[in-house]
Amino acid sequence: MQDRSNKLMKRMLVRYELYLMLLLPLVWFIIFQYVPMYGVQIAFREFMPNLGFLGSPWVGFEHFERFFSSYYFERLLWNTLSISLFQTLVAFPIPIFLALLIHEIQNKRMRKLLQNVTYMPHFISIVVIVGMLNLFLSSETGFVNHVLSAVGIEPIAFMERADWFKTVLISSGVWQNMGWQSIIYIAALSGLDPQLYEAAKIDGASRWQRVMHVSVPGILPTIIILLILDIGHFMNVGFEKILLMQNELNMEASDVISTFIYRNGILKGDFSYSASIGLFNALINFILLIVINAYARRKTETSLW
Amino acid sequence: MKFERRTKIKDDQWFDIIVYAIATVILIMILYPLLFVVSASFSDPSKVIGGEMWLLPKGFTLDAYKEVFETKEVWTGYKNTIIYTVLGTLINITLTTLAAYPLSRKDLPGRSIFMFIIAFTMFFSGGLIPTYLLVQSLGMVDTIWSMMIPTAIATYNLIVMRTYFQTSIPWELQEAALMDGSSNTRLLVSIILPLSKPIIAVMVLFYAVGHWNAYFNALIYLNSEHLYPLQIILRNILITNQNALMEGDAFGLGERLLLAESIKYSLIIVASIPVLLIYPFVQRHFIKGVMIGSLKG
Amino acid sequence: MKKNVTFALISVSLASVVFAGCSGKDPVADPTASAPTDNFHATGFPIVEKPITLDIFNRQSNSNIPWDKMLVFREYEKMTNIKASFKNVPTAGFNEKRNLILNTKDLPDIFISANFTRLDAVKYGTSGMFIPLEGLIDQYAPNIKALFDQYPEIKQSLTAPDGHIYMLSDFVTLFSARTAKPWLNKKWLDELGLEVPKTTQELKNVLIAFRDQDPNRNGQKDEIPMSGENLGQIVSNINGAWGLENQMGNRINVQDDKVRYWPADDRYKQILQYLHELYKEKLLDNTLFTQQDTEYLTKTSEAKVGFFYKQATDTFSAVADQFIGIEPVAGPNGDRLHTQVQPIARSYGAFAITSANPYPAESIRWIDYFSGEEGSIFLRYGVEGQTFNYADGVPTYPDEVLKNEKGSAFAISQFAPWPGTAITHWINDKNSNAVNPPQVQEAAEKLEPYIPERILGAPLFDAATAKKVDTLLTDVNTYIDESSAKFVNGERSFDDWDNYVSTLNKMGLAEIEEIYQEAYDTTYKN
Repeated sequence: MQDRSNKLMKRMLVRYELYLMLLLPLVWFIIFQYVPMYGVQIAFREFMPNLGFLGSPWVGFEHFERFFSSYYFERLLWNTLSISLFQTLVAFPIPIFLALLIHEIQNKRMRKLLQNVTYMPHFISIVVIVGMLNLFLSSETGFVNHVLSAVGIEPIAFMERADWFKTVLISSGVWQNMGWQSIIYIAALSGLDPQLYEAAKIDGASRWQRVMHVSVPGILPTIIILLILDIGHFMNVGFEKILLMQNELNMEASDVISTFIYRNGILKGDFSYSASIGLFNALINFILLIVINAYARRKTETSLW
Repeated sequence: MKFERRTKIKDDQWFDIIVYAIATVILIMILYPLLFVVSASFSDPSKVIGGEMWLLPKGFTLDAYKEVFETKEVWTGYKNTIIYTVLGTLINITLTTLAAYPLSRKDLPGRSIFMFIIAFTMFFSGGLIPTYLLVQSLGMVDTIWSMMIPTAIATYNLIVMRTYFQTSIPWELQEAALMDGSSNTRLLVSIILPLSKPIIAVMVLFYAVGHWNAYFNALIYLNSEHLYPLQIILRNILITNQNALMEGDAFGLGERLLLAESIKYSLIIVASIPVLLIYPFVQRHFIKGVMIGSLKG
Repeated sequence: MKKNVTFALISVSLASVVFAGCSGKDPVADPTASAPTDNFHATGFPIVEKPITLDIFNRQSNSNIPWDKMLVFREYEKMTNIKASFKNVPTAGFNEKRNLILNTKDLPDIFISANFTRLDAVKYGTSGMFIPLEGLIDQYAPNIKALFDQYPEIKQSLTAPDGHIYMLSDFVTLFSARTAKPWLNKKWLDELGLEVPKTTQELKNVLIAFRDQDPNRNGQKDEIPMSGENLGQIVSNINGAWGLENQMGNRINVQDDKVRYWPADDRYKQILQYLHELYKEKLLDNTLFTQQDTEYLTKTSEAKVGFFYKQATDTFSAVADQFIGIEPVAGPNGDRLHTQVQPIARSYGAFAITSANPYPAESIRWIDYFSGEEGSIFLRYGVEGQTFNYADGVPTYPDEVLKNEKGSAFAISQFAPWPGTAITHWINDKNSNAVNPPQVQEAAEKLEPYIPERILGAPLFDAATAKKVDTLLTDVNTYIDESSAKFVNGERSFDDWDNYVSTLNKMGLAEIEEIYQEAYDTTYKN
């Protein structure tokens, strides 16, 4: 026992430089992330600024109960989960696919063009994106419906239809962000050892086979880590765009937990209520993360910790 | 692995055709709305709102750009944003690398604990009020530091960078260097960093764009107009209280809404040009890649 | 084992900071305790002998320049010896910033135009962060007091259940500035040789003619017979034709001291049925539910719409001469009311004094001036000869302001703060020709005979009730808005109405009615 801890000490001492490197970032994490964590308790209190964090009355799970007993709780939960799932199934793989595609383009100009063009939409503000969606998808003047009616399909009022909401939300998100999100994979691909491709080529592998047997395994650790992180944010669906796309007719599909917090907690300055719903989300996220991380560690040897 | 040579060549031709076909479709799908934004910025706003403009500018006008360039705040905002972006990214990259590298080392005792401590902060945070109180007690409210220090490390980026160190830089290479008597610092500076250009480029891009688009911290920490970054100015022009039309004190709101509508496209173009311009520089580091193979040999 | 270490680490760091975050209680400020000093003058100008500074957290509207640069406030500083140090917080993100300031106790001396709700007033007021104003008003605010005396409903609607006034509103005695008007395209009407409609049926016929007979004579069917900002806005204007009112800031009728919350009422069903017909026949703009404010404004500003509701002509001034304001239409049961009227105490939450303010008396005098005849003109018009002149005894902006190419609100906002904000002052028929040109005044006069006797503002509840109402209304309003939209666009059949009613009942309709009845009894019942 003594011996083992001595060994550990020695292993640590030899690597003291690494701990020194970690020092500054860790201090930052403690000051800026852990110090403010006393604020979590307001989820269980009726926070009043003049009474302070410890003086505000303790209400236990009252805020949680208020949220769970809301008439719309089930709908909020379902919409949040289904949008997230849809997003993970569709919006997560597409950037990977795009990165592989870009990697396979031999023509340098075309490759650069595609990269640059797909990157640009990321910078268009959401206000404008939603404005364009309204214009393009309008049932009367929108060009999408002009195209549809040209091939004999009845115009669809996309923005008014609850059943179209998630499709429009996610596909426009893919359009806007696939280039941006593919950057990470492109970087990972460019870090791959060119000798691997050479070897595969000599073995007589076709291009498709090289993609499947060299590129994909090469970026798999990156994919797994990003997937873990993605699932760790399962309950957090960005609210700004949804809020802008929301109207009375698609509310059934578009009301999610984050827009609910915005309306009932943030805008009204009810920090306790927002904190309790936030905590509920974080808890689910965290459990999901721990489960998926453990699974990934067992199956793929890639994991967060 | 054994493959038939003839089918391979045929396959590869098909492969190329499919790749280019898909690439072209994606290009068109993305180019059209982009072109729309550009054309809209040169068009008469009522034609855009009415759905009359669909590809090329209609009712050509430079009014929107004139309006943007005449807005003094846009230029101050530009200047501030550039300062926050450059300085902030520098701090980000330094701290993130310092954390990501040691945590990528399999031989570091306590690595999992550190990772857990760090990953934990992605889920649980004290929230807005205590964070604000902290920044306030550090005396950073209404200073440029509030734009950089509270966001000095993004955990997500840290994890991405660590993953790259772990997977793209062979452990044997590091072991060999350590065996040769290199210190860990030297290893990081003269071997790891030169091999990590793609990920550093990505980190620069992620952090820089993050600073460029940041508005929430500016909203809550800054009070002086001369410190406002570009995004605050943009939001003030673009976002008006949507429900305010019905209120009694809405006089003048209509004219502001119409103004916002008329300049929003040109504003976006003016505001995003710098970040669009840095991309090719970042991209250069991907295309060269890193010749790990040659180093090994 | 490894996990345990981690958790221990975290809980240690947590425990050590919990105490760091602990802050002591603040004594609740008592406004009478800080009696004004010798430096203070109870009447006349300057307000103080030696200069003092007030920290003011104000919302800067999108058209405003920073307030301290405005001529009005530069002059006012010279008159009062009080320097107003404005925070000039922009409108985008204002509420978030204000909430944070309130919750970190980083309090200014005064809030102006800070978008406060009644819930905020009670919550922060009763906890001692805002000081009660009624005593100060009695002693030092002759102008506001005079308005209180003349219009008792102002004081009623500002007073919280605990008897205190925590916040002030705007005081709008100009009827026209408190109501939307029905605007009809007279040019189209004349082109088709039609009469001004007097009933909902006639209105429908006119709209059909607008749709079919190409009143703008361009050979295209591009006319939009009727449009609106959203469904709620249309309902709240047309509901008078079915006898429904908008009392107490909600969907409420008050008759013989009985409060009736009407979203489950059969008359509301009839309104939705009427609107559904209009929608189905494309008489009502089919983009109503998705169009953005700018699209709607553009349509009206280009005279593409035949009939809509709007307070003034400012957003369609270029084509305003094509439109006339009409009398409200009568409904099928003979009801003919116009009930979309705001109370005199409009824009609640326009002014509040915090417990951090060392000069409450000075502050109330500072704001009171703007509620007098002279001061209200000063606040709205600036300095005679510089920013306005008298024409026929009425203050009038010069043409370079009224016809400014960037808009009149923008031009006014260069020297006066009121466009797009709520700063407590008196808005009357003598100081409002920018918002109330003759055409708008005429339209208002046509409505006046049809307004209900009393317009009751939203009541102030005590903190616990306020929270309860808020929680109830959040879900109920979502349900009503959503269902109404579906009834109108036909997605939901009226066969389903009973279902709708029973769901509403389950959600607590009776409870809402009860709470409002109670509030009515304590606030408004004489």
